[in-house]
Amino acid sequence: MNPEILIALPLLAAFLLPAARRIDASVGIWWGPLVVLANLVIAAMAWWKVQLIGPQSIALGGFAAPLGIELRADHLGLSAAVLLNLAVLLLWPRETPDKARVSTILLVLTGAGCGLAMSADLFNLYVFFELVAVATYGLAAANGKGEALIASLRYLILGALGSALALLGIALVYAKTGTLNLTELGGMSEALSGPAGIGALVLMVVGFGVKAELFPLNNWVPEVYAHTESRVSALMAGIISKLGILVLLRLIAEVFGGSPGLEFLLWVGVLGVVTGELAAYGAKDMRRVLAYSSIGQMGLVAVALALGGETGFIAALILMLNHLLVKPALFLIADAWPGSLKALAGKGRARPLGAVLFVLLALSLIGVPPLPGFWGKYLLLDAIFTNVTEGAGLLVGLILAATVVEAAYFFRIAARLFGSGEAAEESKIPGLPAVAALFVIAFLALSVQTGRVGDYLKEVVHGLQPQELRMAQSDFPDPAASVNGKGERL
Amino acid sequence: MNELLSIGNLLYGGAAGLIVIGLFAVVARRHLIRVLLGVAVIEAGVNLMLVAAGFRPGAAAPIFDPQAISGPMVDPIPQALVLTAIVIGVAVLALGLTLAIRIHRQYGTLDTVALTRIVNAPAGSPESRAMMQRGGGGHES
Amino acid sequence: MRQFASLLFLFGFAFFLSVLVGGLPFGAAPMQVGQAIVEQNIEATGAANAVTGVLLAFRGMDTLGELTILFVAATAAGMVVERRKHGVSRDSVAGFILLAGAELMFPFLLILGAYVILHGHLTPGGGFQGGAILAAAFFVPFLANPGRAFQGHAMAFVEAFAGATFILLGIFSIFREGDFMAPMFLGTGEFGQLVSAGSLPLLYLALGLKVGAELGSLVAEIAAAPGSDDPLIEEPQAAKDL
Repeated sequence: MNPEILIALPLLAAFLLPAARRIDASVGIWWGPLVVLANLVIAAMAWWKVQLIGPQSIALGGFAAPLGIELRADHLGLSAAVLLNLAVLLLWPRETPDKARVSTILLVLTGAGCGLAMSADLFNLYVFFELVAVATYGLAAANGKGEALIASLRYLILGALGSALALLGIALVYAKTGTLNLTELGGMSEALSGPAGIGALVLMVVGFGVKAELFPLNNWVPEVYAHTESRVSALMAGIISKLGILVLLRLIAEVFGGSPGLEFLLWVGVLGVVTGELAAYGAKDMRRVLAYSSIGQMGLVAVALALGGETGFIAALILMLNHLLVKPALFLIADAWPGSLKALAGKGRARPLGAVLFVLLALSLIGVPPLPGFWGKYLLLDAIFTNVTEGAGLLVGLILAATVVEAAYFFRIAARLFGSGEAAEESKIPGLPAVAALFVIAFLALSVQTGRVGDYLKEVVHGLQPQELRMAQSDFPDPAASVNGKGERL
Repeated sequence: MNELLSIGNLLYGGAAGLIVIGLFAVVARRHLIRVLLGVAVIEAGVNLMLVAAGFRPGAAAPIFDPQAISGPMVDPIPQALVLTAIVIGVAVLALGLTLAIRIHRQYGTLDTVALTRIVNAPAGSPESRAMMQRGGGGHES
Repeated sequence: MRQFASLLFLFGFAFFLSVLVGGLPFGAAPMQVGQAIVEQNIEATGAANAVTGVLLAFRGMDTLGELTILFVAATAAGMVVERRKHGVSRDSVAGFILLAGAELMFPFLLILGAYVILHGHLTPGGGFQGGAILAAAFFVPFLANPGRAFQGHAMAFVEAFAGATFILLGIFSIFREGDFMAPMFLGTGEFGQLVSAGSLPLLYLALGLKVGAELGSLVAEIAAAPGSDDPLIEEPQAAKDL
């Protein structure tokens, strides 16, 4: 089965849906989930094929790489495709007035996300990125509430601005090199080492960073997450933000490794961590706390990416995986506690299971051993000490300070949950929704098998850019092995 | 050569100028329609930059004509990319305008400061309800 | 203060841009891939218009993506917008000349749109340009008389059929050539003829219809939105769509 089908099938289904539902209205309800389920099966088969025969490069339309568009059926792309299909299926929105149109948008989102995960062509990445973006503008407005519409419009403006800047970066790269293929660009690093190349990287970090919740253009995050359905917030914070990072990961691993522009990404990440955690500390309701904490976590990922090298990339992937499993579960569990944080007093005793799991997941975000979040932050600090020669102390200090703030607001929430207060009136939302339970189970599996996952992530990173990384490998201590050793003791 | 330099300055300078003008609308204007139009101007500047990147002096349009003497042609790729980028820009702009129409109808304003206040008001607070009334707040510039 | 800060930021950005642009070669495009495409285009695709070759053959996936962006933007706009009743309109009907002119232009715009689409592989033009002309054919009468009913039903089927054709041609080529979106399974044909360049004319036809239908429905969504002083129609969303 060709991996291109992962893109073609959901788009085909999306095109047919508006006509099909005019014949039979019920199509709008079952069509979307069914197609995504089929796509998930195909993605899993393609992923397994890569495990057996290794990464493949696909020349779309049979036109070989620099002339045509190249897709990479590699560990990173197909893992992301499997996770995306799974997350869309589990987090299918329910509170929408217009089910058929939301199904159409989600189908497009699935197809475009798979394309974004696999594409190895600069402009094609931009097109799929924009497609994912437009689908999320629609999703953000899907519940039809006035505040959600405003949040969606403001998100659209930031997103369009970011995309225009990213396109400017791509135009600069093309004007300088005359090619868009990532493999070919990887061999032209001296052409991209001048101001045009550095500027292009900066512009693309800003542009693709909109979706990845990175520093300058992330005002939309709390607004959108506060006013959409919790499943949509979970989907966007969980997997869509990771797709933005994935683009940057490919760019850095294949083209911009060692570029001075990475310094910019580093400080964007640090500012994201600091501002995100401080804003989360000051936030007044649960949704915004989770939204700002998401900005902080993505900032950490950006720092890890900017440091690069094997350790940095593995740290980024572990932090992403941790956040991918933890944040959706937190959004879904927190559904039972809407409104102000002050109203939380004593609510935890009404739903002990949900509250205990909430605290456990939060501990992983803070980075308490033996949870996966700890290994992410540990490898991140390791990468800082290995790669940064000047100012490592400042960097580590800022990140640890942000972690302390993070711990402070999560402990404050925990104290409120289990503190005294009137016994809450029972609402209809169960303490632990079934979907949240699935995410928690996956999270526990990750916690137990951190070592194995670490080994696989190492393979993922090696699949990205074989030669240079293997050369650089000897410079670093073997991080996955240390994860493995310590992980098994725990 | 001097002529070529001036064309280059005109195209690249024009592209940079359009981007800065659009960015001015985005950062300094409060009315969201103007901000949207600012983004559209930025996109126009970026597209101009992309087309200019494929320019070669004296080259023909990349369309083969069996009768014509074959000479050098300009790079066809940026032209195809710009076509794609223009359509993407139109789609995003149309969606943004639709959202703006709906929001203006519900709240009577597109002033970004007033809308920020609505979005950040705690749910169910008197402020958020008062803003629901048409013409309840904000002013248009 | 805010104005001052934004001006300062703009000056900074303008400087940043001038540094970036100053380092670019002008008139000496690297033509790394472009030259190869100019040389191989006729042999590989049979299309005289190299831009068409790039859009539909070499970078077909980009075109599918942009088509889908138009589609999903129209879908999201349709989800967001409230509709007002047909025939209820704040905007007045235009005068006789505009109305008659719009009706008269309709067939000519259709023919011109079809011509531009079908000759996209030979001459400048193609699916996007022709699709925009087709959309204009439908919404010029609509602008002249804003209250008239829009053919949403027929539009939905044209849209679905055209979009599906574009992808199905791609999937079909998997069985013929082994590659997704390989457009040459019909053979390149005789250069310069209307029926040549493999499935490119078919792809452009599907593309043109889809673009026309999407642009038309986007304009219709915006036109159907009630203005600030129209009364709200209290109608459940589901009832509106069926």
